[in-house]
Amino acid sequence: MNRTLIIIGGILVLGMVLLSNALFTVSEMQQALVVQFGEVVRPIRTPGLKAKVPFIQNVVFIDRRMLDVDPPVEQVILADQKRLDVDAFARYRIHDPLKFYQSVGSELVAEQRLASVVNSALRRVLGNVTLLAVLSKERAKVMADIKAQVNEEAKDFGIEIVDVRIRRADLPEETSQSIFARMRSEREREAAEARAQGQEQSQQIRSRADRERTVILAEAQRDAQKARGEGDNQAMKTISDATGKDPQFYAFYRTLEAYRNSFRNEDTTMVLSPNGEFFRYFGSLTGGAGPASAGQ
Amino acid sequence: MPWSNQGGGGGGGPWGSPPGGGGNGPSPWGRPPGSGGGGPQTPDLEELLRQGQEKLRKMLPGGFGGNKSIQLVGVALLALWLASGFYRVQADETGVVLRFGELVRKENPGLRYHWPAPIEAVFTPRVTRVNRIEIGYRSTTNSVETRRGTSNDRDVPDESLMLTGDENIIDIDFTVFWLIKDAGNYLFRVRDPEATVKKAAESAMREVIGRTELQPALTEARQQIETGTLSLLQNMLDEYQTGIQVTQVQLQKADPPAPVVDAFNDVQRARSDRERLRNEAEAYRNDIIPRARGDAERLNQESQAYREQVVNLAQGDASRFSAIYTAYIQAKDVISRRMYLETMEQVMRGTNKVIVEPGAAGQGVLPYLQLPQLNRAPAPTAAPTVSQQQRR
Repeated sequence: MNRTLIIIGGILVLGMVLLSNALFTVSEMQQALVVQFGEVVRPIRTPGLKAKVPFIQNVVFIDRRMLDVDPPVEQVILADQKRLDVDAFARYRIHDPLKFYQSVGSELVAEQRLASVVNSALRRVLGNVTLLAVLSKERAKVMADIKAQVNEEAKDFGIEIVDVRIRRADLPEETSQSIFARMRSEREREAAEARAQGQEQSQQIRSRADRERTVILAEAQRDAQKARGEGDNQAMKTISDATGKDPQFYAFYRTLEAYRNSFRNEDTTMVLSPNGEFFRYFGSLTGGAGPASAGQ
Repeated sequence: MPWSNQGGGGGGGPWGSPPGGGGNGPSPWGRPPGSGGGGPQTPDLEELLRQGQEKLRKMLPGGFGGNKSIQLVGVALLALWLASGFYRVQADETGVVLRFGELVRKENPGLRYHWPAPIEAVFTPRVTRVNRIEIGYRSTTNSVETRRGTSNDRDVPDESLMLTGDENIIDIDFTVFWLIKDAGNYLFRVRDPEATVKKAAESAMREVIGRTELQPALTEARQQIETGTLSLLQNMLDEYQTGIQVTQVQLQKADPPAPVVDAFNDVQRARSDRERLRNEAEAYRNDIIPRARGDAERLNQESQAYREQVVNLAQGDASRFSAIYTAYIQAKDVISRRMYLETMEQVMRGTNKVIVEPGAAGQGVLPYLQLPQLNRAPAPTAAPTVSQQQRR
């Protein structure tokens, strides 16, 4: 009884071993090659549970996902003789696992090969364009060109290039320094201009203000003089209208008034001759006198 | 490999309560070494099998009536194996189930079941979590440095310095926010999707900046750069079938590079100097013009006043004269004499007087009257020579 148990057990174990060797899974991210004595029997491109002949055949798994190749930074010379440090990367899929397995064998090798292919394509394409083109609108076209060229060569490896992109395209250190110097000088120019403009505007505003002030004052003075003149005119007219009737009397009247006004000061000393009209009765009762003289 | 993922997502894991899962009887491996205290989450099936085989081997030689225990062991093993299919999908996750490596279904959050180990496996990526990638800088928010107090972000010049369309260099830091749109593609179509996002984002940003000139990039074109980069990046990621949705590209910083930042700041200073000078000049203008207007108004008013004054005075004088004249005309001699005398009286009352008799010889001076204060030299009068006498 024990013996039968052992035999059954043995058969079971043997079956398990065979089964586990015959069946294998290919996951979503893989594809596989069934290899028999070093020769590829069939490629498997769909995921799931797969079978093979145990022990005789074995399986090589190859990534089905999109993979990445990032070659080292490469200095290229552009059509306008400018140097550019270009860091590109490529995304690829292993499109034909059979070809891939036969031509490059492993991802590591593929990556090295692709890196050099990408870099030489970079140099070829970028050698024909100017820096401005790389920077601006033609960048996409440049990348498409590189992609096409790389794709051409990668086909032999069973690889499909999804995309080649320039990640960084920078000027080498020395060139950067001169760009910085140029940027600085541009800014300095701008700063100087702004300061000078400040002076300009300041002078403009100040001088206009000065002018305006002068004009305002001058106009005011003009108007003032005009008003004064009008006043004087009117005053004189009034006086002359009133005095026209008897100018002599006005002269007399106005002279007396002028005397009153001008000799009002107490400090005035008068040296008089007693012959004046005022002193008419000073010497004589009858008042026969000569002309008066008065001074200040 | 699938095991490790499944265990990670399942929290307690199917092995957390093996007896409950098995449902019946005491099983020798009720507490497998792996499950103690929720330690390593990955139940090692092979280890279990090996243990099972060992027990089996121990029982077989000395086992009378071992048949029953073998059955028991078998049932328990089967139960355990089946129980290992339970897993939990967290609220922010999606369960992606593979049967023999092939994607068969996706599960929403909750407690789920899949066929145990060799048949099915499950991945639970976090699909609602928004991830961020920093480019051009590394924030130190969650690192040790923050605790020390230095919260400054570390700059990565290799990533942040780039060429603009007018061959200038700009220093740009930005952050990309993304989430998983399609878990299947995210898991199986691209190796290292996160690094892919980063590289693609860098490439997209540089392409966009390469089309932009420096000055707008520093100022008003920021929004444009963000949206341009976002759409370019999304196109690339879709083309790569990464299953990633970029939700936002956020420019953290768009500055002139450090070596020229002084010059740029100086332009700002110069601009504000210009503003200042203009403001000062305007202040000057605003100061003097109203003053001038005030002065002008004063002149105006003064002249008006003068005009009114002289006119009114003249009118007054005229009417006074007219009045006097009316009186005068009736008795000319008397009135004029009276006027004269009144005036002279008034004039003489207030002044110092020196009365000089004009001598026949001309030289002789006889002061009739000497006033106590005669301190000023009077102007020489017309005819007589005046000798002055001063008294102190």
